[in-house]
Amino acid sequence: MRSTGLAPPLYNPISTVHTVHIKYAQQVPVDAELLLSASDSKPMYQQIVDQITAKVLAGDWKAGQALPSIRELASASRVSVITVKRAYAELGLAGIIVTRHGMGSFVAESPDLAAGLLRAEFHQHFDAMLACAARLGISRDAIRQLLDDEPSDPETISSGGSTP
Amino acid sequence: MTAAFAVTGLTKRYENFALQDISLSMPEGQVMGLVGVNGAGKTTLLRLLSGLSRADAGTIEVLGHAMPAQQVAVKQELGFASEDMRLYKTQTLRWHMDFIRSIYPGWDEAYAAELLRRFDLCAEQALAGFSHGQRVKALLLLNFARRPRLLLLDEPTTGLDPVARDEVLQALADILRDDARSVLFSSHNTQDIEQLADTISFVHGGRLLESRDKESFLDDWRRVVCQGSWPANESRWPEIAATRQNGSLLELKVRRFSDALLSRLKGQGLEIRSTEAMSLEDIFVTTVRAGGAA
Amino acid sequence: MNVPGLNLPVIKLLIAKDWLLFQKQLAAYVTAGIFALCLLGMAKPWSFYLGSLMLIVVLVAAACFSISTSLLAERKEHTLAFVMSLPVTPLDFYLAKLLGNLVTFLVPFLVMLGGTIAVIAFTPLPNGLIVFATLVFGYVLLAYAVSLSVAMAVESEGWNTFAMIGSMVLINPFIMLLGQIHAISGYTNTEHVVWSAPAVSILLAQVVLSVAVLVATGWAHCRKPAFY
Repeated sequence: MRSTGLAPPLYNPISTVHTVHIKYAQQVPVDAELLLSASDSKPMYQQIVDQITAKVLAGDWKAGQALPSIRELASASRVSVITVKRAYAELGLAGIIVTRHGMGSFVAESPDLAAGLLRAEFHQHFDAMLACAARLGISRDAIRQLLDDEPSDPETISSGGSTP
Repeated sequence: MTAAFAVTGLTKRYENFALQDISLSMPEGQVMGLVGVNGAGKTTLLRLLSGLSRADAGTIEVLGHAMPAQQVAVKQELGFASEDMRLYKTQTLRWHMDFIRSIYPGWDEAYAAELLRRFDLCAEQALAGFSHGQRVKALLLLNFARRPRLLLLDEPTTGLDPVARDEVLQALADILRDDARSVLFSSHNTQDIEQLADTISFVHGGRLLESRDKESFLDDWRRVVCQGSWPANESRWPEIAATRQNGSLLELKVRRFSDALLSRLKGQGLEIRSTEAMSLEDIFVTTVRAGGAA
Repeated sequence: MNVPGLNLPVIKLLIAKDWLLFQKQLAAYVTAGIFALCLLGMAKPWSFYLGSLMLIVVLVAAACFSISTSLLAERKEHTLAFVMSLPVTPLDFYLAKLLGNLVTFLVPFLVMLGGTIAVIAFTPLPNGLIVFATLVFGYVLLAYAVSLSVAMAVESEGWNTFAMIGSMVLINPFIMLLGQIHAISGYTNTEHVVWSAPAVSILLAQVVLSVAVLVATGWAHCRKPAFY
């Protein structure tokens, strides 16, 4: 699943894994306080989009789960309401959340959501790598050689995108 | 829905300064940040809204009431704190809290106690012994604890140490939960405005330069670094607020960014190396240096 | 009692606040005043002179500082903005100031007046002095009213000090003037409390003028639209 018209958020999977807390099965209240940083060069709304996307992918927020209200998220994370509104709008456009009028926002029910997002990420990284290689003048053969030199494939994780 | 405040054609003249023809409004449930250099007119505007000053011309409406005619009704639900306000030195914070509580029925003693704890203030201490930061926090506590519908804050975090500033911002963030409460604050810590404000209003030389929602305002500005030399005909580029050349590197501060602009720049023979967002502080300084034209 | 346009509950609170802020000074003045009265009561020439001098100083100081503490300090100490952000109009504020000031001054003033009359009546001091003393108190009252209105109109420490010192200096000529009026001075050394026509008219003039000045001040400030 490709998001419409918007570049999928670029994030470093490794660092995101370390910042996300895995919450197991029990009914835990949805954590409204996102870990945002004013010194991050990414605009605030983008950080929110990225973090919520990461939480959805990691399973913190399950499909169909209610998101915190815009004001609750704004207050807990110390950002303006307008920024949260924008982030929710973008998340809605990307299909990650669904907003029902008068009822609030919910994580989208799509089972392929996680895999689709990860796939979109992969393609963007891939395209960027090819562009960079072109600037450096690295040929396709050289790229293939680099791939072959890579140590053996890490255990392929089946689609679902959960952390080891 | 009533506007939190609305002013039209507001004018106030002092000996060496005049606030001229300001028209501005804000719906309820929002946060507006006022940006401007010292002496730009932010404090004057806040004083006019709070009823401490009387305008020479124009209309002022706060929380649906005309000012200053209905100032008592307004002030029941209005909170005001400014940098030059002082409390009674010989009295304790507890005395001030009791004083405010006896005037405002909306005083929340439990919330006040919580703020005391969060702000790390000693209620039994006389105000004379408070440091600057503690004094500012005490004044804010007296305002926050009665949950006013509209808060007018003049430089609430200026001069505070980072910890105190963090505490104040946290208390301000609490207000966001309530869609019936509004905040108008001015700050030199533009980062506070960048973070918490829904709307940014830019005051300069007694005039309102701009008032726009924060996201689109920040989106419009970009810092573009290119390679090449800048043609000197700036009048054909009203979107560009400032330029800096260093050898073959050119830095442009753009106030109305668009992809079309990028194309035009490329058409000039410039090679775009990067475009990035600008902080509000950078935008603020650039605007003022560019002669106050937004 | 509901006076339209006035926020009475808050006015009361503001007066109570000013009263509270003046407590320490009030205690000092009353103590010094009582000491002065004791000196007076000893009825010796030197103690009488000392006591009466001290009494006048205490009264003038109480008047002066009650004005400067409640009026001028607000501006200087920047607490004015705090008060103004309360639900009050400028009229409420000035009314509270006027009344508050009257209270903080009149309390020590009346205590001293009562004490003086009592001391004169119950000690070997000639009772005729009562008339004289009352007229001196009346003078202080008038001087206070004038200083208060000057302070509320001008709000400058310099003018307030000038008004107070000026009236303090003028007390001597006033006392001498009283001495010239035979109808008053003739009885000061006797036991008779004689309210002669000149005495009554002077006292009446003092009281009426004081009230007139205070009312005029209050009226003038009805019209003040804002604080800055």
